[in-house]
Amino acid sequence: MRFLVLLVLLVSVSLADVRVVVTYPWIGDLVRKIGGDRVSIHVIAKGTEDPHFVVPKPSHIAKLRRADLLIIQGAYLEVGFLPPLLRQANNLKIQPGREGFLDLSNYVQLIEKPEVVSRAMGDVHPEGNPHYHLDPYNIPLLAEAVKEKLCKIDPDGCPLYEKNFEEFASRWRSKLIEWNREFSTLKGVRVIAYHSLFNYLLKRYGIVLAGTLEPLPGIPPTRSHIEKLLRLENVKIILVGVYNERRTARFLAERIGAKVVLLPHDVGSLPEVRDLFSLFDEILRRLKDG
Amino acid sequence: MRKLGFLVLLPWVVLAETRSPFLQPAFAPNISFILDVSFVLRNAEPLQGHDHGHGEFNKERGFNLNYGELFLNAPVDPYFELSATIPFSEKGAEIEEAYVLTRGLPHGFQIKVGKFRSSFGRLNSQHPHLWDFAQQPLPYRAFLGEGLIEKGVQINWVAPTPFYLNLGIEVLQGENDRSFGVEGFRVGNVEVGDAPKPGLFVGFLKTSFDIGDLSLLSGISYAEGHSRLKEPEGKAFSGRTKLYGADLTAKYFFDSYRHIAFQGEYIHRDRRGTVYTYDGSTATESKVVERQGGFYTQLVWGFARRWRTGVQYNLLDKEEAYYGMLEFNPTEFSRIRVQIGKGEVVLQLTFAIGAHGAHPF
Repeated sequence: MRFLVLLVLLVSVSLADVRVVVTYPWIGDLVRKIGGDRVSIHVIAKGTEDPHFVVPKPSHIAKLRRADLLIIQGAYLEVGFLPPLLRQANNLKIQPGREGFLDLSNYVQLIEKPEVVSRAMGDVHPEGNPHYHLDPYNIPLLAEAVKEKLCKIDPDGCPLYEKNFEEFASRWRSKLIEWNREFSTLKGVRVIAYHSLFNYLLKRYGIVLAGTLEPLPGIPPTRSHIEKLLRLENVKIILVGVYNERRTARFLAERIGAKVVLLPHDVGSLPEVRDLFSLFDEILRRLKDG
Repeated sequence: MRKLGFLVLLPWVVLAETRSPFLQPAFAPNISFILDVSFVLRNAEPLQGHDHGHGEFNKERGFNLNYGELFLNAPVDPYFELSATIPFSEKGAEIEEAYVLTRGLPHGFQIKVGKFRSSFGRLNSQHPHLWDFAQQPLPYRAFLGEGLIEKGVQINWVAPTPFYLNLGIEVLQGENDRSFGVEGFRVGNVEVGDAPKPGLFVGFLKTSFDIGDLSLLSGISYAEGHSRLKEPEGKAFSGRTKLYGADLTAKYFFDSYRHIAFQGEYIHRDRRGTVYTYDGSTATESKVVERQGGFYTQLVWGFARRWRTGVQYNLLDKEEAYYGMLEFNPTEFSRIRVQIGKGEVVLQLTFAIGAHGAHPF
């Protein structure tokens, strides 16, 4: 009898996975790397989507309703779609401030925090630039935050999460050596970007952002702003995200003798980008070709 | 720019020295204000509608101030969240909505209490600034007037299913002036007493799932309540009214900025009771059983990042109405819309400032 109870307990424990909902695919990949098969993951946004404009589809409410853990990028990036989903999910566990809620922006140093905010400045994020996952140095810090949280929610799985984290972190460290060497050859290169999407990467490796196609964050390019950009010199590359229109970038590139480079910003944004490792590999490959 | 910013900050620096240790600016709720103004060209006289509260929109030829709406929202404590909608007209203000939501009931339950837009139907719970056209569809105007906005309580439950399933019931006071009403009245020498209060019951079921890039949301709703309706021309109705609603929304997303959305809703009204007519000397009573149904369907196409266009068809009894609109949205916070239909052209401008929460699907 006692054996039977034990068996039932064991079976139910091994079947019980931690249900995690994340907002963006790169967070999903991080959770998969740390959580392995013990976690089930639902990702709200698609890699090909503009992370600022995600649709709050009711189907996500069903996933949030049953979630044990919600992990977000934070810094106001999800403000346009997550609050109504969370309000309708009727799930106490994953509300901000509860144990099943993790805001990853708390674990990194945000850059470009504005001193004064006003909507007249476009879509500014009061806490700073939210696209922090594009600094490869931030990834191990975020992986550790995910590991700590999973250990808290599912203590039985902690040894596995620790082991997966160590493996991931050491693999990341060796990749960092390679990336540092390769990206450093781009130091001092002047680029224009559509949006301030890659600023963390550019800052890390000393690539110079000479301007953005958007006159203000979130405001599409205007003629007068493009005329200003036409006067910029020595710009080698114009960076566009996979969801940006490319016509303006091509127009400008032709006139200033630069090259348009389409860069992935998230896992799944391009077919080559299957996880966080290939995200930075592909960014590097495309920048070097440019 | 930096210098200017410094000047703006200067008064705060001075204030900080003398600031009371008990000021609580960090606890200020999310506050937003939405302004809606319009310019109307019309050759026909408008449909006779009810004018009360913040009034009928786009009523006058020429310029209209439709509303200036104040929104407040914040958690009360770990257990409750409070939201209020206070529309201002040129004549005054009213509390359109003021309700508290529970934040953490177990097992997927949520309770809403206060005054709120009922979850009956698809459009009813949406604020006017979310409507895709300048006015409510015909069946809504006929059966619900401004909408089913009532004092009461709602309990809803999200089922632990892999797809979205939301069930809810509402017990409402039942003061809607188009279909319900609880206050008794007098017609000539006939007096009809108050209905039991609360007098209205609503039930709804909503479900949603995705097929690739297509999202479907559908619902069925039911409302049943007492009616006490008195019209100014010496006509009145007392009895019971039932409303049945069915709605379907289908949105297909081409990419982050472009989508096409179908939305349709059918409302059927079934009422039985007594009609009182007063011709100045005697009141006559007649028993009535009345069935009436109406629907609208619309197609809205977001064809570029900041542009949307759409058409809407309305049918109620034998009355039809067509509308077409074109929108330019410079940002999420501003909208310029032109609407043509029913012998009028409406240029509608809507602006939002402050911390305004994102809207549901």
